[in-house]
Amino acid sequence: MADHSTHREPTPRTLLRRVLDTADPRTPRRRRSARVGAQRALLETPSSRRLRSQTKMTAGGNPHGTKSSGRLVHAQASGHLEEQTPRTLLKNILLTAPESSILKPKSVVKPVPAPQVVPPSRRESSRGSPELQLPEPEPPTTLVPALLAPGRRKQRLRLSVFQQGVDQELPVSQEPRGNADASSLTSSLNLTFATPLQPQSVQRPGLARRPATRRAVDLGAFLQDLRDTSLASPNIVLEETQPFSQPLVGRSPGMRLSLPLPSHMRAKDTERATSRKTRSSGPAPRNSSPGKPAQFLAGKAEEVNALALGFPNTSSSISGPGVEPLQDGVGEEAEKRMEEEEKGLSLSEVKEATGARGPSGVEEPEGYMEVTEAEGSLGAVEAEEPEGSSEDEETSGRTASPELVSSTPEFLQPKQLHQLLEPAPPPGAAILSSEPLEPVSARLHPRPRAIGPRPRQDPYKTGLSHYAKLFSFYAKMPMEKKALEIVEKCLDKYFRHLCDDLEAFAAHAGRRTIKPEDLELLMRRQGLVTDQVSLHVLVERNLPLEYRQLLIPCAFSGNSVFPAQ
Amino acid sequence: MEEEAEAEEQQRFSYQQRLKAAVHYTVGCLCEEVALDKEMQFSKQTIAAISEMTFRQCENFAKDLEMFARHAKRSTINTEDVKLLARRSNSLLKYITEKSEEIAQINLERKTKKKKKLEDENKNLNEPSEAGADESES
Repeated sequence: MADHSTHREPTPRTLLRRVLDTADPRTPRRRRSARVGAQRALLETPSSRRLRSQTKMTAGGNPHGTKSSGRLVHAQASGHLEEQTPRTLLKNILLTAPESSILKPKSVVKPVPAPQVVPPSRRESSRGSPELQLPEPEPPTTLVPALLAPGRRKQRLRLSVFQQGVDQELPVSQEPRGNADASSLTSSLNLTFATPLQPQSVQRPGLARRPATRRAVDLGAFLQDLRDTSLASPNIVLEETQPFSQPLVGRSPGMRLSLPLPSHMRAKDTERATSRKTRSSGPAPRNSSPGKPAQFLAGKAEEVNALALGFPNTSSSISGPGVEPLQDGVGEEAEKRMEEEEKGLSLSEVKEATGARGPSGVEEPEGYMEVTEAEGSLGAVEAEEPEGSSEDEETSGRTASPELVSSTPEFLQPKQLHQLLEPAPPPGAAILSSEPLEPVSARLHPRPRAIGPRPRQDPYKTGLSHYAKLFSFYAKMPMEKKALEIVEKCLDKYFRHLCDDLEAFAAHAGRRTIKPEDLELLMRRQGLVTDQVSLHVLVERNLPLEYRQLLIPCAFSGNSVFPAQ
Repeated sequence: MEEEAEAEEQQRFSYQQRLKAAVHYTVGCLCEEVALDKEMQFSKQTIAAISEMTFRQCENFAKDLEMFARHAKRSTINTEDVKLLARRSNSLLKYITEKSEEIAQINLERKTKKKKKLEDENKNLNEPSEAGADESES
């Protein structure tokens, strides 16, 4: 057979034939008998052949007989090599081919009872038979009924016999022995009769190798944490922070802004969390120093003066109404941002930040708490460009700004005044702002000096630097440091502008609190929310489902609407 | 029905065109003034561009004003809304606030004048009656 196969072109069929012929070097007898069987097969019909082999099997499960039966099958297949398809060839290969046998015949032979001595080849062949997609094997107690079955009963017979052995083995050793192969074989046998699975439970390498790069956000746990911490926070947090800082009351489950790069954000969040803690503790002691408050006040007054009306400069319009309202708006945003932090650690930070900021925290704590963080931060989110990272940008930018604001006046002055054209005569706003600043300084005093003077650049830059990094990532090109710095500046201005707008909107409505309506108005002005596209639509589009059910009022049973309107 | 809608649309469109033309004319006049002032000429395209921009921006302003009024839960557009709109540009804001204050003053003056008039009239009415009463008493 191999002879005339070589003469032709190497078709798959011929190749497979070759494989068949060369298969199974273990039992040379096979080959011979295969050839013998082939000759026989040419003369006989398949069924009679099988019957004969079955009779041979009944003779005693003779290894030889089974071998020959196996070979007969092989022969049968090989006998009709010319007519058969590559598929059948493959089948036969599998029947006989045993190079990669997962079965260690010895180990399997042991547990099998003596009368059921099954030679390796038989096992192999029977193992190969699953590939034939045999129907579910009946566990025959005897071989007789199987004998009468037509079709490929021979194979099934062998299989069923083997399975008997396996079944017997199973109760003996319920657990797979040290030999994983046997167990996999047995388990696979139970499985593979119906499906052509690989006997060995081969793990798909791709799945196994995939590294868990991204820490999945466990929203449920996060919300639960928030609720727990909100319940427990007032006591815990108060200890750490100033006595005057307000507890974070009524925290609705903070919105975690979902981002396209959650892993990045998480990493950065933790970074920021740790850095902010030190940062906020940094500015606070600084502000509490006696010399500073006066300076602080003076600085603020100057700023406010500088920011007086009459400056065509856009930057001044950005920081327009004055530092204090900016602080308020920004502080509130920072609080919102803080709330997004996962850890209870963040709560303490926020408290610190609120304490450090002083006026905003003191004057309108309730007002800020009122802000539906979800809506607010959503608005903040949507207020940004479609770029997902912008969500965090805004909020972190806002966190940066309170830090900036609460940081030393020296730092603040050059930043602000640099942008302004010339100082104007002090308007009434200056007086206004100076008043709340005094109690601020008083309150900042009790704060213990936790950490020494930290680099002042950090609180301002840290929040924005994160977004600058994101920017550089999305740019897909290397960026100069100067360019990044300018990006940070632009972001800062942009966020301030947005906060001022929000504050103006709130004031326009005669309120001192920024509410979701203000944010919606802002988004409207930005063109994100239109008559065709409402806020809810944006929520549905861009936020995950969990936030949606927090934001969009939905009616539940019992005549209740969540979230309450 | 469709014809009516179409006619309406056409009417609107023509109305719009007329408005645009008016804006264009005004912009042209202003540009001429500026040109005389700065001794620099304006090309036609520039004037056309400016007028087109102005027109579109007016549309935006109108929408924003309506939004602001609604935000403040009013149904009438107020000077406050206009001020909010103009807050971006400081000089413009200043100008508008001054004007609004002027207008407010004028309104006050008018009101006071009206009140005085009313009071005077009342006094006049009362005096003759009082005089009459006095006369009658005496």
